[in-house]
Formats: sequence, C-alpha cells, structure tokens
Amino acid sequence: MVGTLKKMFNASRHHFESGGRLEKLYPLFDAVETVAFSPALTTASDAHIRDSLDLKRFMTFVIISLMPPFFYGIYNTGYQAGLASDLDLGFVSVMARGAWVVLPMLMVSYTVGLFWEILFASVRGHKISEGFLVTGLLFPMTLPPTTPLWQVAVGISFGVVIGKEIFGGTGRNILNPALTARAFLFFAYPANMSGDRVWTLVVQSGQQAVDAITAATPLALLPLATAEKGASQVLNDAGYTFQRLFIGDIPGSVCETSALMCLIGAAFLVVTGVGNYRNMIGGVLGALAVAYPGYLIYLSTGGEMATLFSVHPLYHLVMGSFAFGIVYMATDPVSGPGMNLSRWIYGFLIGALTVMIRVFNPAYPEGVMLAILFMNIFAPLIDHFVIKVRLRKRIPNV
Amino acid sequence: METIYLNKGFSPKIAGGPTSQCRRLHEPQRVGMAPYRIPFIKPRLLVKEGDTVSIGSPLFEDKRDPRIRFLSPGGGQIDRIVFGPRRVVQEIAITLEKKEPAKTFELPSFEQLETSERETLVSLMLEGGLWPHLRAFPFMDLASPDAIPPEILVRVGDDEPFGPSPGIYLTDREAFFRDGISLLLRLCENVAVHVIEDDVKLPVLPDSVAVRYFKGPYPTGNPGVQLYRTKTAPQQNTSWFIDGQDVIQIGKFFRTGQYPVSRVMTVGGSLAPAAVHLVTRAGAPLRALVANGAETPSAARVIAGGLFTGYSASVDSFMGFYQNAVNLIDEGDREEAFGFIRPGYNKPSYSTAFLSVFHRKPFPMDCGQHGEVRACVNCGICAKICPVDILPQFTLKCLVVDEVEEALAHGLLDCVECGLCTYACPSKIELREVLVSAKAHYYKEIA
Repeated sequence: MVGTLKKMFNASRHHFESGGRLEKLYPLFDAVETVAFSPALTTASDAHIRDSLDLKRFMTFVIISLMPPFFYGIYNTGYQAGLASDLDLGFVSVMARGAWVVLPMLMVSYTVGLFWEILFASVRGHKISEGFLVTGLLFPMTLPPTTPLWQVAVGISFGVVIGKEIFGGTGRNILNPALTARAFLFFAYPANMSGDRVWTLVVQSGQQAVDAITAATPLALLPLATAEKGASQVLNDAGYTFQRLFIGDIPGSVCETSALMCLIGAAFLVVTGVGNYRNMIGGVLGALAVAYPGYLIYLSTGGEMATLFSVHPLYHLVMGSFAFGIVYMATDPVSGPGMNLSRWIYGFLIGALTVMIRVFNPAYPEGVMLAILFMNIFAPLIDHFVIKVRLRKRIPNV
Repeated sequence: METIYLNKGFSPKIAGGPTSQCRRLHEPQRVGMAPYRIPFIKPRLLVKEGDTVSIGSPLFEDKRDPRIRFLSPGGGQIDRIVFGPRRVVQEIAITLEKKEPAKTFELPSFEQLETSERETLVSLMLEGGLWPHLRAFPFMDLASPDAIPPEILVRVGDDEPFGPSPGIYLTDREAFFRDGISLLLRLCENVAVHVIEDDVKLPVLPDSVAVRYFKGPYPTGNPGVQLYRTKTAPQQNTSWFIDGQDVIQIGKFFRTGQYPVSRVMTVGGSLAPAAVHLVTRAGAPLRALVANGAETPSAARVIAGGLFTGYSASVDSFMGFYQNAVNLIDEGDREEAFGFIRPGYNKPSYSTAFLSVFHRKPFPMDCGQHGEVRACVNCGICAKICPVDILPQFTLKCLVVDEVEEALAHGLLDCVECGLCTYACPSKIELREVLVSAKAHYYKEIA
C-alpha cells in the first residue's frame, strides 16, 4: 500500500514542480506528501543527531487531544437537537445528526482556511504549517450549532489572515488565530453568536415548525441571581447541576460543553509534554482566587452583598467554555508566554479575568475568550519582566 | 571531595558506545593535520610539499601570534597540502618514514622547571607545540601566552557520545598527568581538576589543586558547563581549560624532551565495525581508525569528534587537533511512511511524545533530521534542556534582529556550544549554529 502511495506521488510530482501546470499549488502537494512520507532529510552539520519530535507530531498531538471533546461534541449536538425536536435519541441517529451539523462546519473551516494558507504559502514560498490544522479544527468547535456556514467561512478567513498571516504566519502571530476568528464572529454577528436562541439546533420536522428553541445557557442565568435566591439555586432550578455541567450534556457551543472531555484532553497534552500544565493549573487557580473571596463575602453577608458572586466558585470551572479555553487555547505556545513563571502568571490572570468578566460584565458571558485574547497581548510583557528578573541572577558574562 | 550534581541537559541512549577494551593500532603509513578545523586561528604554513619533517618540527604558525606553533605529528615527507576555498589550509598530509626522525628539545630538568619563571615555562610550551592545548573561555579560542587566567580547568572525562574514558587514558600515565598538573600550577595558581567518572584513579595531586566530581547528564563533562556551575564572580569568565589527555602530553613532553604523539582515541557509533578504545597517534588517518581491519560501511557518516559537536569528515582525512574520537552512524536518508503518527517505540526523544519512554535499551541513532524546518513556536524545549540556562528561543530572536546586547545579557557567552538545543528543537532550527556564529562575530568585533 505504501508503495502504491509512493508511486502516486511520484507520478503527479512533475505537475507541481516548477514549470508544471500546477506549479503554484506546490505547497499543497508538499504538505500532502510530507504527511504521508516524512522526507529523507539529514542533518547538514552539527549536531549530527536530532530528536525524533518534530512540529508535525507536536501539532498532531494537539489534534488527537481534541478528539474527546470533538466526538462528544458531535454526540451532544445531535442529542440536544433531537431532544428539542422530539426525534429519536438512539446513539447512531444522534451521532449522525450531530455529524450532519458539525462536519460541514469543519469542512468549511478547513477548506476556506486552507485556501488562505496555500495562497500565502505560494506567494511567500513557505511550506504550509501544521499549525493551521489545529486552528481549523479548534475554530468550528467553539461555534454555536446554529452558525450559518458562510459565517464559518468569514470567521476562519479573518482568523487566518488577520490573526496570523499578516504577522508572518505560524510562530509569529500575537493572538490565537482560532480565538481571533471566534471573537470576530462574536462582535460582527452577535445575533448568531449570543443570546438564548442559538445554542440548540432544531431540526424541522413535519408540521411542527419551530425556528429555534429558547434555552438560556448557565452563564446567561448568572445575572438572575438575587439576594433571596443565589446563582447556584438559579442554575439548579434550570436543571444545570454541577454534575451535568461537568459532563456537558447541555446546549452550548458544539464541542465546548464538556469539562470532563477537556480534562481527558488535558491529561493527554500534559503527559506527552505538548501542552503546558502551568497555564492550565494557573488558570484554575486564577478563577478560584477571584471567585472564592467574592463567594465568601456573599455567604458572610447572608446574600446581602456580592450577589453576582453567589454561584459556587467550582461552577466557574465547568460553566461555558472555561475548560475548553484553558486547556486548548491558553496552552497555545505561540500566543502565550515562554517562561515557566510567566506561564503561571499568564494562566492565573486568564482565570481571574474570566471570572471578572463573567461576574461584573454579564453582557459578555463568554469571558474566557476575551480573557485569553487580552492576555495574549500581555504575554510578551509578562515574559519581558520575568526574563529581566531571571537575568539578574546570572553572573554577567560580556 | 566535592561532588556537584547537575540536572539540566540530556543523555540520549545511543547504541555504539566503545567498550573498555583498549587495542593498540598498528602504525599508520601517513599522518596529517586539518588546520582549518582549529577554530579562530589563521595558519601560516612553515613547510611546503616535498619538505622533510621530523616529529616535533613546526608545520604552521598562527598569524595572529606567530609564537603559537603547531608541530608535526610525524616524521617523513610532506606529500600533500590541500587548500580549500579562499586558500584555507584544509589538510597537511605526511608520509611517514620507516624510522621516523624526531626532534629532541633542549629542556631544563623538571625540578628546575618547577621553580623557574613563568615566562620560561610559557616559552617552552610554545616551542614544544603544547600551548594550543590550552584554550580560553568564553570564546574557546587559544589561550593568550601573555595573559594570566583566573583559573585553569582540567576536564577529566568527556561525556559527549563517544569519547575516550579517562580511566583508560590515565592508566599507566598517572605520573605524566601529575607532572602536567604541577606545571599548570606554574601558569596559574588556581587549577581545578573536574572528573565525571567515579572510578577514575587520579594520582596524588598537589594540595592546592581543587578536585571536583560532577554527576549529571550530557554535557556535564563540558568544561564550560562546569565553569558555569562553579563560578562565583564575573572575573572567572575568562578561565582556561584543557583536556586531561593533553595534560598528560605536557607532562610527557617535559619529562622526555620529545613532542608526544601517542593518543588514546575511540571508535564508536552503531555502525562502527568494532567500538573500542585505541592507542594510536595524533593526526592518525580516519580510515585506519575506522576500518581497524574491517570495511567501512558505506551508509555511514564519519564524524570526527562527538555526535553533537564533531564534524563530518571524509574517511580519507585525518584526525583533528582537538578530537580524540571518531564515530560512525547511519546517514539516515530514508523516507518514512506516516512517520509523525507512529507510536515510536524505536524513536529516541527528549520529549514524552513517543512510546520510546518505555524503551530502556540504547538506540542505533542516525543522522536524519526527523522532520522539516518550521518557524519557532516558542515551545520552550530548548530552554528546558540548555545546561547553562540560556533561553535559546528568546536569544535566537534577539540575534535575528541584531539585538546583540540583549543576547549577551541572556548569557550568549556562557553558551558551551554543546548542541543540545539544536538536537531537541521540534522546529529543527539550527540554534547552535546561530549562537556559535553570533559569538564568533562578536569576538571579531571586540578583538
């Protein structure tokens, strides 16, 4: 089989090489070929031996770690749609229904994103970077299931071009491209990205034509807390128990609802060393550090003060896309800081900001997205000071 | 006894380490030198093709300081001088005579030397061609004969795969080693002997010599790392270092009055016909070392020196001045189907992204790059592995935008050129090359 594959590449290679008909598409050919066959490159000079880890594997491992939330997301999307439209809830039909929603979004994201990647790679004479495969997968996973496909296309275009390519491509971007795309859609098309009506897809069947189903997400319920009825109570009344939020069988963005699945992905990232645990643990600590004091004030005043903090702090870790963001977006090495201490600070501030945005500004319930983008901007600054402190300990050598 | 434990760095488990068996290689017919492999020097030839030389007669000097001379490792006729681009002297080859003429140096007795002026010793070492064995930090250029260093580090044992074990080259040569050390004490009152193997039997050394034991992964045996871990003040940045085997040469020279050419070298690597220690001579032809009676495997890369910092050389060339090892490993120019997603039980890695973390046995490593060059994604593996706490990913970015000052503040000059950052980089960026050339460039600027 491998031999046949090799023959196929060899047979079509001349079309893509310089002078061939598809010369401009060489980066695409190269990308596909190097996925199938790691090229036979040898070291030009010292060090003569090299580690087996390369960026392809590095990025592939991020994609693997995204599989648990991805498949659970497909299931949950199908399940919620089925529930809302009164359809069969068997596993196969649920998965098929979910795939029918999620896969087109994924395909549009990959196709349109790849178009931009190839365009920039051809013009610049670069190789297509594997980083795009992660961006192109992350982005649709963060969208509500009702997102029109044209918006997916517009979003990924913005993310790839403005979020990454204008800075010079993978490795040089300041912001996380997938989040840039998500934030763009959030602000450009708020009607499709927020509110109570976008989180569940309704499959129209027969006479009973419902456009959309109204189901407030847990984050949208937070501001409803009052002195008499704390937010935990509000959530429980709406059926959002901690356990459900943790497992994630609730309406929401297609693949972000399950903290459990993100935890599995996080374990994989940490064990293989691809994702940094400092960002993640820092994020959790940051969220708790802001939420706990507020919660304690709320409790000690008997609900008189700080009603916005009335939800139990642990809820913040499982509500909305906190888990997804902190595991997959906050660990992006390119847009995050590079020093270990900076990673703690960076993660901590993301967690803290997330809770602050959620609590103090309920207009933007998607706090984690804004928090990460905001901290992306500050990552170089944190690094700058952390490096400065660290260099002070060195015995100077100039 | 002081033991210093180092935890940064990495020793890949590589197959092909030399056994402790030590063979005597039969006398080669030719020996040679490769002047352009000696960093920084500007050689001026003192011989031409057809000249007759004896062991210890000068072959070339360093134009920057003509007192520094490199002597002939053999007696016979110069049969070839090879020039490279811009007339760099690539190779001087000498055909040995049956009965090699050897130059005898007029030396004061050893006891006189121990009490003589420092200048006398320096000039004798220059004349005897031993001076170039002393090198100075931070640029690792030859030491200046006019300077007095803050400290001289004697590196006993190099843990770069694969070099000679000090236990073997010290055997029967302890007396010369001790003599060499006592002469080094005349050059600088602070001499430190740094040992990385426990079972090395050092001779009784003068009390003023500090003996330190180091334990840790590669490059614990690198004198630069040892200096970084032991220095307490910026003045020590200009310390000198010398290899243990070269200390033996110094002792031997002053005891015998003849330029010493005998060396213990290793042949290693997974494709070496026999990975052993060899007693041979300086400037030995690589083919004689490698073949050792057998054929050289055709798919092998011949590396003079270690796998991280050595240079790839033709099997028809000669051993370098500072190298004591030749390693043969697989060139590794093969495609691999779906290489990036294989579980990788057989793929050595610093990371934990391969099943090879469960693999205990050494791997037959090859020279494959194992991936394509990509932009830096700031993964931080280089900073994690760097033994002298440089932040290569940030230093690299400083250097590409010419922020030399900032790179220096990051510790650019502490870089020991061990090659681990290049080894580990998943984006396959030639970090070592960038750092080394930046250092060399800076050296030229300030010189």
